[in-house]
Amino acid sequence: MTDPREVRLEDLPGPKSREELEDMKAPYEEYCRKLFDVGNEYVKPAALDGIRWMSCTMYIFTPHSVSNLAELGAEVIKIEMPRMGDPMRHTSPFNECYYYPLHDTRPKTGTGIGVLNANVNEYYITMDYHREEAKEPFYRLVKMSDGLTECYRPGTFDRWKQSYRYLQEINPRFIYVWGGGFGYGPKAFGGSYDILGQSHAGLASITGFHEDFGGHPVKHTNWCIDWYSGTQITVAVLAALYWRRKTGLGTMIEFSQVQAATRCTGYAVPLYGRFGVVRQRWGNWDTQLCVHGIILCGKSDYPDEKNPQLRNEARYVMVSAFNDPDFKELCNIIKRPDLYEKYKTHKQRVEAEAQVEIYREIEKWAADKSRSEVVRILTDAGILAAPVKNDKEVYDSEHFRQRGSVRWLDDPMMGDVLCHSSFSCGLLSETPRRKFWDFRPVGADNIKVYHELLGYPMSTIKKWYEENLI
Amino acid sequence: MCDIIWCKKCNTVNYLDPYCFWNWEGKINCAECGEVYYIHMIQGHMYRGPEPRPGEKPDIMPLYADKPLEGYKNYLPGTEGRTRPYNCTPRHIYLGHADYRKFSIRNRPMRAWAPQPAAGGVAGAYGFYWDIKKLSPEVWEEYQEKIKKGEVRDW
Repeated sequence: MTDPREVRLEDLPGPKSREELEDMKAPYEEYCRKLFDVGNEYVKPAALDGIRWMSCTMYIFTPHSVSNLAELGAEVIKIEMPRMGDPMRHTSPFNECYYYPLHDTRPKTGTGIGVLNANVNEYYITMDYHREEAKEPFYRLVKMSDGLTECYRPGTFDRWKQSYRYLQEINPRFIYVWGGGFGYGPKAFGGSYDILGQSHAGLASITGFHEDFGGHPVKHTNWCIDWYSGTQITVAVLAALYWRRKTGLGTMIEFSQVQAATRCTGYAVPLYGRFGVVRQRWGNWDTQLCVHGIILCGKSDYPDEKNPQLRNEARYVMVSAFNDPDFKELCNIIKRPDLYEKYKTHKQRVEAEAQVEIYREIEKWAADKSRSEVVRILTDAGILAAPVKNDKEVYDSEHFRQRGSVRWLDDPMMGDVLCHSSFSCGLLSETPRRKFWDFRPVGADNIKVYHELLGYPMSTIKKWYEENLI
Repeated sequence: MCDIIWCKKCNTVNYLDPYCFWNWEGKINCAECGEVYYIHMIQGHMYRGPEPRPGEKPDIMPLYADKPLEGYKNYLPGTEGRTRPYNCTPRHIYLGHADYRKFSIRNRPMRAWAPQPAAGGVAGAYGFYWDIKKLSPEVWEEYQEKIKKGEVRDW
């Protein structure tokens, strides 16, 4: 008689042998589509559900660090200046693209499109928290929150008695983030901007082409160091939350944006330390690999477009053919097999002088071709090549659409909004990121927070509103 | 700027932007008096010129010019007959003032025009949902028309 406690493999559901297991496995593609189920993120649990965060932030850098938490499920209360809101609301490309309303007192003013993606899924309240009357609701929020992120100049919150050393006393589990320009030290009172981070950290000096090629130190068109540093803060917050689970104690995170940007410079600083060599800009080429860069083709893919960004600039192709067989094939395609004979080893062709010659010859070959022709010819030959896409092409990209990176959001407040940020940060099978709304008007959730969460009577809220406290 | 042409005839500084003139040979006009100068630039350095070529036709106009000794008088990009337009700002798209829109590129309503109805709540508090049918009935009507015509797309 068999032991009833014994579980026999053949009685269990599922495969009975390795062969059967292989047979029953869904193809990887199908498995991933089912697992990540793009478009149905909203029915899955949220990883940070139960975390409440206060956001005393402005612009992109610190707001984005909190937005990351909100997209992962935290309840975030964004605190803005009464009537004004985050200054980022008042920036928009060429002063044109706004969503309305901003606030009842400013019917013709809108929220600029520059604010998009930086304060997702948050509740918006107003509070002039440096006033004495605001201390009570502020501290009460601190007591029932897990953390706070602020971006004022170092010591400002300390002067207003709401820095880590004060808040720690009323909530020892509190995680406090200061994010700003330089942090404590010789430039404690320096403010910060993305461009300052890119310049001060040495990143701009190695971005763009060398002056010998008509180039200058270049800042990225977008505020990439704001987005990058914000994400770095989120990493620190998640570590602090884990530390708190183990110890029950909060943390203060002091995050200098200009410091963070040095991480993007790769080996530049160690290179100086070893040789005293100051790294130079190498533009669209690469100092470690050749061919591995972006080339210019002669003809546009959109010769009749009105927009010069499409008409003149849809001409760049990324090409990678650095190993010997690929480089040989590339030289044959551009009808310069002698180049391969000249630079047979990678060591030879990665030299600066060799790169100047090789890229010049590739561009000469591409001078009478359009971008798509160049991509097609190189791809057909088995060489990695891709067009340098613009935003229109990103929107049209089937790759992004299938993976849900770019999608339309029916924002409950602002209507049809094309979004990408939340869903382009990687897929999580169990607790995916999600976006419910992008932003709300200034003070839109005053009643929800002051009345429903903190329990203040409506008469008090009206009084505060009339006194410009909220 | 990689260099300038300081026109001694009219005391105007014509700026040579590196994007166009870094490696360039040809004739350029003074934005103020129209005097034509020949220049040859190599890697951002003035190899030859500026040499006056009176009476000849210019190949290109400067992007920007000003008269630094006479206060703030200047010629912005795109001043007709004097400076060339800054080609990267497509003026048919970018207007320089708030551009009200009611529909996105796939013809679904978006709240991008002012004024909007006030919150109606206490302390500027707004409801969660934009009831377009109730708050902006004329846009709702227009939207229904677009649906009927099949103009509303998924992408």
